[in-house]
Amino acid sequence: MSLELVLIAAFGGALLTYFLGKTSAKVRNFLAVAISLVLVVFVAYLYGKPLEKTFYFGFFDLGLVLRLNMLSWFFAITIAVVGTLSIIFSLSYIRAREKNDFYFLMMLLVNAAMLGIVLAGDLVSFYIFWEIMSWSAFLLISYNRGPALAAGMKYIIMSVIGSLCFLVGMLSLYVSFDTLNISQIASAITSASSGYILFILTSFGITFGIKNAVLPFHTWLPDAHSEAPAPFSAVLSGVLIKMGTYGFLLILYVIVGLKLFLGLGSGIFSFHSVLCLLGAITILIPTFIAMLQTDAKRLLAWSTVGQAGYIILGIAFGTNLALAGGIFHFFNHSLFKALLFLAVGAVEFRTQTRDLDSLGGLAKKMPVVFIATLVGICALIGVPLTSGFVSKWLIYKTLILEGSPFLAFFALVGTWGTILYSYKLIHNVFLGQLPEKYKDIRKSPFSMQLPMIVLSLAILVFGILPGIPLKVINAIGISFGFESLNVSLWGIASETGTLNTINIFSVVLVAAVLLWLLFRLGAKSVSISQEDSYAAGAHTPADKYHYTVEFYNPLHRMIRPFLRDVIDEFYYWIAASVQRLSDSVRRVYAGDVGYYVMYIILFLAFLIFVQLKWKPW
Amino acid sequence: MVTKVMQIILSPVLALIVGVFFLGLARKIMARIHWRYGPPLVQPVIDMIRLFYQKSVSHGRMFDLGIILSLAGSIVVVLILPFGQMCPLSSSGGLLVILYIMLLAPLGLALSGGQGANPNISIGISRKLILSLGYEVPLLLVLLAVMTRYKTISIVEVVNAQQSTGWSIISWPLFLSGLSYFLILPAILGIRPFDVSSAPQEISSGAMVEYGGKYLALVTIEHAFALFISIALFVNLFLGGAANPIIFFAKMLVVFVLGLFIHAVFPRFRIEQAIKYLWKWPTLLAFLGLIITLAIRS
Repeated sequence: MSLELVLIAAFGGALLTYFLGKTSAKVRNFLAVAISLVLVVFVAYLYGKPLEKTFYFGFFDLGLVLRLNMLSWFFAITIAVVGTLSIIFSLSYIRAREKNDFYFLMMLLVNAAMLGIVLAGDLVSFYIFWEIMSWSAFLLISYNRGPALAAGMKYIIMSVIGSLCFLVGMLSLYVSFDTLNISQIASAITSASSGYILFILTSFGITFGIKNAVLPFHTWLPDAHSEAPAPFSAVLSGVLIKMGTYGFLLILYVIVGLKLFLGLGSGIFSFHSVLCLLGAITILIPTFIAMLQTDAKRLLAWSTVGQAGYIILGIAFGTNLALAGGIFHFFNHSLFKALLFLAVGAVEFRTQTRDLDSLGGLAKKMPVVFIATLVGICALIGVPLTSGFVSKWLIYKTLILEGSPFLAFFALVGTWGTILYSYKLIHNVFLGQLPEKYKDIRKSPFSMQLPMIVLSLAILVFGILPGIPLKVINAIGISFGFESLNVSLWGIASETGTLNTINIFSVVLVAAVLLWLLFRLGAKSVSISQEDSYAAGAHTPADKYHYTVEFYNPLHRMIRPFLRDVIDEFYYWIAASVQRLSDSVRRVYAGDVGYYVMYIILFLAFLIFVQLKWKPW
Repeated sequence: MVTKVMQIILSPVLALIVGVFFLGLARKIMARIHWRYGPPLVQPVIDMIRLFYQKSVSHGRMFDLGIILSLAGSIVVVLILPFGQMCPLSSSGGLLVILYIMLLAPLGLALSGGQGANPNISIGISRKLILSLGYEVPLLLVLLAVMTRYKTISIVEVVNAQQSTGWSIISWPLFLSGLSYFLILPAILGIRPFDVSSAPQEISSGAMVEYGGKYLALVTIEHAFALFISIALFVNLFLGGAANPIIFFAKMLVVFVLGLFIHAVFPRFRIEQAIKYLWKWPTLLAFLGLIITLAIRS
C-alpha cells in the first residue's frame, strides 16, 4: 500500500464518478459512497506506518514528496470519515436538485485535496492541494446561487489573500534554504535569526488563520457556512477549516519547532502569547454573537468560529496537556459540528426552513434527529460523558495550573455562553409546540439518519473511553518533542488532578436506572396533547404558542450594542474604497477611440510645451 | 472497599435529608419573619409522599427522562463533593468536573420543561439561563482564584490545605473572592432578590408550571439536592470544609439561614437589574481577588 495509491484512488474516483454520473444516477451514487469508504479503509490500514516517498522530480528540480506520520494519519482519518458520512447524507439531500454530478465531483475533489494536503511532504505539493481545496470549496459554497454567490466570493477573496501570503512565505523559505522539503526546512531553520522566523510565522499564520477563522480573519465563515448545502457545511466546519489547524501544527511544531516557537519574544509580547490571546478572544466574542442569530446554520457557523478559538488556544499554549487538548478538540469538533450541521440539514430538508423563530416541537416528529442534536449540543457544551468534555478539561486544567487564569476565564465564559445558544437551538427547533403546518411531517430518510447515528455513537464512545484517540494524540505530542502523557483507556492520571470518565459514567448509569425504577413506582401519568397546558387563567392563542422569537431578549438588549462586527465592516470599507478607486480609473479608459486620441494629443502637447519652455532635450 | 460502597450509598441519602430539612426550615423561618406560625418541619416530606401517589400529566418521553437525567447529575455531584471527610468519588476529577456535572441538573430540567410546550416554561428557562450566565462570570473568577491560590484543581486538596492554613475567606488573598461568592450566593440558590426564573406571580413558577404528582415530587428532590450542592460548595471552598459531617452541617446551616434572611426581606430584581448587579460589584471584587492571588503567586 503506498501513498500515491490513496491519492490516485481519491482523485481518479472523483473524476470517474463525474463521468459515470452522465450515464446513470444510481451508479454514480454507489460509486461516490464506495470510493469514500475505500479511502477510509486505505487510511485506516496505513495506521502506524511512517512513510516518506518522493514521487516526482521534474518540478524545477524540487522533489514532490508524500509522507505519512502520526499527525497526518490522524487528520487523514478524520477527513475520510467525515467526508464519507456527509456523502452518504448527500444521497437524499441533493437528489431533488440539479447538477448532481457536479456536486458529487466537487465533494469528492475537496476530500481528495484535503487528503493531499495532510499527506504532502513538501510545500509545493501542499500548495497545489491547498489551491484545489480552496477552489472546489468555492464552487460548492456557491452551489445554491442567490446569496450563496456573494458568500462564495467573500470566501474566495479571503482565501486568495491567504494563498498569496503562503506564496510569499514559501518563496522566502526557498531563497533562504534552497529546499521546500518540510523535514529539510525543519532541520535548516534552527540556524535562522528570530526576526526571520517571526516573518515566516506571520506570513503562514495569516494563511492558516484565514482558513481556521481566527479573529480578525473570521469574516468569511458565517456567510459561507450558512449558505453552503448542509452536507458540505458539515465538511466545511468539520474538516476543511481544520486544514488551518493542521497548518498551524505544521508550521509551529514541525517546521519551526517547540523551542524556537516558545522562545520567540518575551513575556506578553511573544508570538506564543499573542496567539493565545487571539485564541481567547476568538472564543469569547463569536460565542456572544451566536446567541443573537435567528438562522440555525448561522448560529452554528458563529459557534464554529468560537470553537476554533479553543483549538488555537490549546495548540498555541505549548504544553503537552494543552496541545493534547487542542488536537483532541479539533477531532471532537469535527464530529459534533458535522453532526449538528447534518441535523439542521435534515430539519431543513423536511421543513424547507432553518429559521429559529418559526420552527418548534419537532422532537416527536423526528426523534432520531432530535437525539442526534442533543448529543451534538452536549458535546459542544462539553457535558461530561461526551468527548467534548475531555478536550475542554485538558485545556482548562493546563491553563489554570500553568498560571494563566485569565485565559482560562475567557475559555470558561465561552462555554457558559455556548450553553445559551445551544439550548436556544434545540429548544426553538425541537421543543415547545409543534406549529400547525408541520403536523404531517415525515421522519428523515435512513441515508440521513445513518451518518447522524454513527457520529452520535462516536461522540459517546470517545467521551466514555477518551483513551482511544488520546493514545494517537499522545504519539503526536511525543513526535513534537513533548513529554508523554499518562493516558489510560478512561482518562488521564497525573499528580495534579485525575480524570476518570468510567467512574462518572457508571454512577450516572446506576443512578439513572434506580431513579427510573422509582419513577415507575409512582402513580401512572396520563399523556396529554400539547394544547392542554396550564396558562394560569390567561388567554391562550390558537396556533403559535411557543416562546422563541428573541429568546434571550433582556440579554440581547444589553449586549447587542457591543457586538457589531467592526472587522467585517472594515473589510467591506476596504472593498468599497478599492471599488471606488477602480471605478475612477475605469472612467479614464472609456473604451472610445476618440478619448485615446485625445490622451495622445494632450500628452504630445505636454511634451512640446515642456520642450519649448525648459528645453531639456 | 466496603466503606467506599457504604459511603456511595450514604452520601446521597444524607444530602437528601439535609436538603429536605433546609426546605422545611425555610418555610418555618419565612413564616416566623412574616409573623405566621408556619407548617411543621416535615411538611415537604409529607407533600412529597402525597404527590408521589397523585395523578399527573406527561408531555412526552423527554418530559420524563429530563428529570431523571437532572437527578442523576445531582447525585454524581454529591458523590464528588466532600461532605466532611466523606468523598467517595474524589479521584474521578476535581473542581472542573464538579463545575461541569453541575450543568446536567439544569440541562435536564430545561429539556424536560422544553417539551412541556408552555410559554411560561420557556420564559422561565430563558431567564434561568441568562441569570446563570450572569452569576457564572463572577463565580468562575472566584473559582479560578481558589484554584490558582492552592495550585490544584482537586477540591479535596483545597479542603485539606485549609485544614492547615485556616479558612480561605479569612486568609487575605482570598477574602475578596469569598465576599464576592457570598454576594452571588442568592443568585446561585435562585432565591430573592434573584428568583426571576421561578417568579410565581409573573410566570406561574416558570419551568415548574407543568409538573404535578410524581414529577413535582422528583423536582422537589432535585431542588433539595441543588440547595445542598450550592451551599456545600461554598463551605468546602471558603469555610474550610470540615473534619466530620456534623460540623459541616452546622456550617451549612449558618450560611443557609443568612441567605434566608436576605430572601425574606428583599423584593425581586428584574432580569436586567440582576445582570447589571452581578456583572458590577461581585465581578469587580472577584476580579481584584484573582489579580491579587496571581500577584502573590508569582
